[in-house]
Amino acid sequence: MGKKRKHSETNAVEPTKKDDNTIEERPKRTLLGWKDKPEVKETDAPGVFRNKEKVLVTCSRRINFRYRHLMLNVVSLLPHCKKDNKVESKSSKGATLNELVELKSCSSCLFFECRKHKDLYLWMAKSPNGPSVKFLVNAVHTMEELKLTGNHLKGSRPLLTFSANFDNNAHWKLIKEMIVQIFGTPKEHRKSKPYYDHVFAFSIVDDHVWFRNYQITVPHNESDKVARGGLDKMTLVEVGPRFCLNPIKIFGGSFGGPTLYENPFYVSPNQIRALEKRQKAGKYAKKVKAKTRRKMHQLANPLEPDEYADMWKE
Amino acid sequence: MGKPNREPALFDEDKIEDEEMSDLNEEVSESESEPEPELDSEEDEDGDVKLAEPSKKAVYNREGLEEKLQDISWPEDVGWIHKLSIDINQEQEVDVNDDLKREASFYTQALEGTRLAFEKLQSMGLPFLRPADYYAEMVKTDVHMEKVKRRLLAEQKEIEEAEERKKAREAKKLSKEIQAQKTKERAKQKKEDIESVKKWRKQRQQSGFAGDVNDGDLSLAFEDGKSFERSNKRRPGVAPGDRSGGKARQSGGKFKKGMDKKRKGKEFKNSKFGFGGRKGMKKQNTADTTDAVGGFNKGGVAGNKKRKR
Repeated sequence: MGKKRKHSETNAVEPTKKDDNTIEERPKRTLLGWKDKPEVKETDAPGVFRNKEKVLVTCSRRINFRYRHLMLNVVSLLPHCKKDNKVESKSSKGATLNELVELKSCSSCLFFECRKHKDLYLWMAKSPNGPSVKFLVNAVHTMEELKLTGNHLKGSRPLLTFSANFDNNAHWKLIKEMIVQIFGTPKEHRKSKPYYDHVFAFSIVDDHVWFRNYQITVPHNESDKVARGGLDKMTLVEVGPRFCLNPIKIFGGSFGGPTLYENPFYVSPNQIRALEKRQKAGKYAKKVKAKTRRKMHQLANPLEPDEYADMWKE
Repeated sequence: MGKPNREPALFDEDKIEDEEMSDLNEEVSESESEPEPELDSEEDEDGDVKLAEPSKKAVYNREGLEEKLQDISWPEDVGWIHKLSIDINQEQEVDVNDDLKREASFYTQALEGTRLAFEKLQSMGLPFLRPADYYAEMVKTDVHMEKVKRRLLAEQKEIEEAEERKKAREAKKLSKEIQAQKTKERAKQKKEDIESVKKWRKQRQQSGFAGDVNDGDLSLAFEDGKSFERSNKRRPGVAPGDRSGGKARQSGGKFKKGMDKKRKGKEFKNSKFGFGGRKGMKKQNTADTTDAVGGFNKGGVAGNKKRKR
């Protein structure tokens, strides 16, 4: 039903736009990609901007339950997303994912990739030709945890708050723009609700992006009187989920393309584990080595014969 | 409210990394002395990457990034209402491993952002929070929220109970102290009483017994050995001739409690009404029976007095 309505809308809008463009643009379906946004801006400058963002959310096969729950939480937070079946996490997953995104007519993608049942990577990609970012996800808490006591409307548009250090570097700027587009619910989306009762906090601490989701509350019976002095009574209650994103790489294309950025401080969890293991192995080797060294030492400089050795034998 | 204590578990990973870092460094220093060049040189690099210096190979294509940003970003004149994004300046750097401070900084960032957004929305005349009578699907189900509520209540109850226990413990301690003080006071009182009685007696002795005859007799009673005679008074539950005063049987009877109980009534009756064991002892004369002249009372012996009553 929604699809139908969209068609009618586009039909309604298009005649007002330039007519010569429409025939070209329809079959490509890349209208949603922001690549040709500047054109749109030129054509309808008086503010007919319409955010038609759609996010495909999927995960890899053999994903952990915890990470799957995290994905489902994200799905519940984004009314403008489409959830799809799990995708095999192979080297060719980029192509399949691109195809899938196109098939679902989405403009961006969140792909939760779980490796070895313990490491979670998050791909954030703008679909047709936008960039994509690969994150390592740390410190995951899902919404199901009972300590996170907040609750909010499903589908209300979130306020997005960013710490100021997002504007310091080019790659952070890019990541911020992608987050705004992917996590922000489009205005007047049909599944969205017209109130604002939760806020996302994205903050860069220690070169990681930390995500928090809070519910906005005011004391009882005052929600309609927020205007008068309710501002300082406003409090936040955490809803969840929580996670921490460590950017690994930024690619030029979606799920591939030239590398634009590489985190110089990044060490993969595999390497960390390997190191740990090697260290444990090293312990035994060291012990053996010490033993042999001792033996060699003893052989090399033998004790002088004890002059009193036979003293009590006589 | 209990948020911080959850954090440490979370940040184990970071800590582990740190530990690894230090370990790494150790290994590196060791490796210099040890003849294993290929392995350790590799580790060397890793340690450096993680710690201070960024790796040299890392790509950073600023132009490419900026171009991409241009590509994907929305037109400049897009209204704020489409983005709803707010930048908040953090006052100071936050220590990542200090969970409380970090969470607080996130919270304040979100709160400040909310206030700014609220002002903006207010100026646009848009509704902010949902009205109280607007019911719609929530992110968390009612079942889940019920669980959350129950947990909160349980937590609160636990705290209260702990407090109560603490209070009880303290009260007990206090009462013990009070009790000790009381007994001390009582002992003191008793001592004082005795002292005063002694004083009074001394005074009387000094003043030369100005009181009545009974008093004189009382003091005499101890002198003529009468106090050592066997009292005629029978105690209930104690057979006559039982020198232990019934205690021997009690200790003996410990092993056969059932029988003891049954016998109690009988014994009591015996002690009261007769059949108190062997008659031999009773029928023998003792010193006092020979002295006794039937029913004649010699003087104000304490025991006799009681009997009169």
